[in-house]
Amino acid sequence: MKSILKYIIKNGLKDKLFVGLFIAILISFGISIFLGSTMLVEQNQSSLVFILATVRTILSFGIILFVCINVTRSFDNKEIEFILSKSISRENFILGYLFGFFISAFLILLPFTLLTLLIFKIDYFGLLAWFATTTIEVLIVICFALLSSLILKNSFSAIFSSMCFYILSRLMGMFVMAINIPEEFSFNETNHALGLALKILSLVFPRLDLFSQSSWALYGIGENNFLYIIFIQSAIYLPLMIFMAFHDFKKKQF
Amino acid sequence: MKDFKLYFYIYSHKIFFWLFFLFFSFQFIFGLSTENIRINYNIVPPAPSKQFLLVASLGDKEFLFRIMATNLQNFGDIFAGFKSYKQYDYNRLYDWMSSLDHLNNKSRLIPSVASYLFSQTQNKEDLYKILKYLDEHSSADIDHNWWWLSQAVFIAKKDLNDLDTALYFANKLAQNNSPDAPLWTKQMPAFISEKIGDGCMAFKIIKTLIDESESGKRVIKAEEMNFMRHFINERLSKLKNQKFDPNKC
Repeated sequence: MKSILKYIIKNGLKDKLFVGLFIAILISFGISIFLGSTMLVEQNQSSLVFILATVRTILSFGIILFVCINVTRSFDNKEIEFILSKSISRENFILGYLFGFFISAFLILLPFTLLTLLIFKIDYFGLLAWFATTTIEVLIVICFALLSSLILKNSFSAIFSSMCFYILSRLMGMFVMAINIPEEFSFNETNHALGLALKILSLVFPRLDLFSQSSWALYGIGENNFLYIIFIQSAIYLPLMIFMAFHDFKKKQF
Repeated sequence: MKDFKLYFYIYSHKIFFWLFFLFFSFQFIFGLSTENIRINYNIVPPAPSKQFLLVASLGDKEFLFRIMATNLQNFGDIFAGFKSYKQYDYNRLYDWMSSLDHLNNKSRLIPSVASYLFSQTQNKEDLYKILKYLDEHSSADIDHNWWWLSQAVFIAKKDLNDLDTALYFANKLAQNNSPDAPLWTKQMPAFISEKIGDGCMAFKIIKTLIDESESGKRVIKAEEMNFMRHFINERLSKLKNQKFDPNKC
C-alpha cells in the first residue's frame, strides 16, 4: 500500500501534476484578485469567492485528467499487471491508488486554503466547512474517475464520463427542483416522462451542488446548513463506488 | 496521361504553392467584404431567468452572483469606449438586479451599483426603476438595508425632486431598528415633510422623538437633542407667523 502511494505521488511529480495545477491555480489566484479589485465595493469578498470557486473547479477537472490518464496508461504499459504480480491484494491495490490520488489532491488544496486564510478576512468555521466538503467532493470525483478508468480502460471515455458525472452531480439541485412539474404542463405525457427521468437521475447521482459553497467563507454556514446531508451523502456514495471498483477489478482477467 | 502524371510530379509543389496563394487571396478579399459585419452589441442584454441562473451556478450561487455582478457593473464598457447611461435599457437593468438578488440579497454590491453608478443617468424617468429596485431590496430587511433607503430618499429628493416619493422612502427609513443607524434616519420624514411644507408633520415627528427621549424609551445624545429643539423652535417661530397651532397637530 505504502509503495503504491509513493508510486502515485511520484507519477504526479513525473506528469507535472503538482507543478501544472499549482501554476493553474496560482494564475487563477492572480486573475481572481485582479477581477475582485475591479468591483465597486466588496473587492476582497469578490476576490475570495472567485478564488475558492476556481480552485475547486481547477482541482476537480485536473484530478480527473490525472486519474484517468494515469490509470489507463498503467493498463497500457502493463504496470498494473506488474504490481499485481507482487503480493498485494486487488482490494489493497484499489485502496492504495485511491489514497495516493487523494493525497496528491490534498497536497494541492491545503496550501491554497492556508494562503486564502492568510490573505483574506474570513469566517473561519465557514472556510473549514468549505475545505472539508471540497476535500470530500474531490474524493468522490477521484473515486468515480478511478472507477470509470478501470471499467472503460480508454482514457478519453473515462475523462468524458467523469466530467459528465461531475457536471451532472453539480446540476442535481436544479434537477431535483424540476422534478415537480407545474400544473399547467402536467397534461403532456412527455413532460411526465421527463420528470420521471430526472427523478431517476437524482436518485443515482450524488448531490454535489450542496458541497463547498463559497458563500460559507463570507457569511458563515448560516441556518440552512447542509453539512449533515453532505456527510451522510459521502458516507453512502464513497463506499458504493469503492465496492463497485472492487467488484469490477476482482473479475478482471489479465 | 503519363505525361500529365510526370508533369504533375515535377511541378506539384509549384501548383500547390499557387493554389495556396489563390485561396489566400480569396480569404483576403473575403475578409475585406466581411469587415462591415459587426456583432450586434447590446449594452444591457436581457436578464437571465432564475432557472438559467440555477443551472449556470452548478450549485455555487455565490460564485455566479459575483461573476454576474462584475458583468452588470461593466455593462456599456465596450471596446470603442463607454456608453452614456441614457442609452441603457433600465427595464432590463431592473430585471438584472432583481435576478441577482435571488442569488444573494445580503451583499452590498448590487444596491451600490444601483445607487452610485446607474443613478447617474441623464434620463431622470429611469431613476424610478432604480428606486423600485432599492425599495424591493431594502424592504426584505429594513434594519440591514437602511442605508439603501437613505440613498433612495437622496435620489428621489435631489435627482428627481419628487418629494412625495422621497417621503415614502423616508417613512420606510424611519421604520428601521438597527443599532448602527444614526438618529437622522428617524428624523428624515420630518426633514422631507418640512420641505413639502407640512410643518405639522415635521413638528409631530421631532416632538415624538423628544418625548421618547424624555420618557427614556430612546437614548438621544445631548447635541442631537439641542438640534431637535432648535429645529422645533425655528419652525415654531416660522409657523407662528402663519398662525399655526401646534396643539392641532
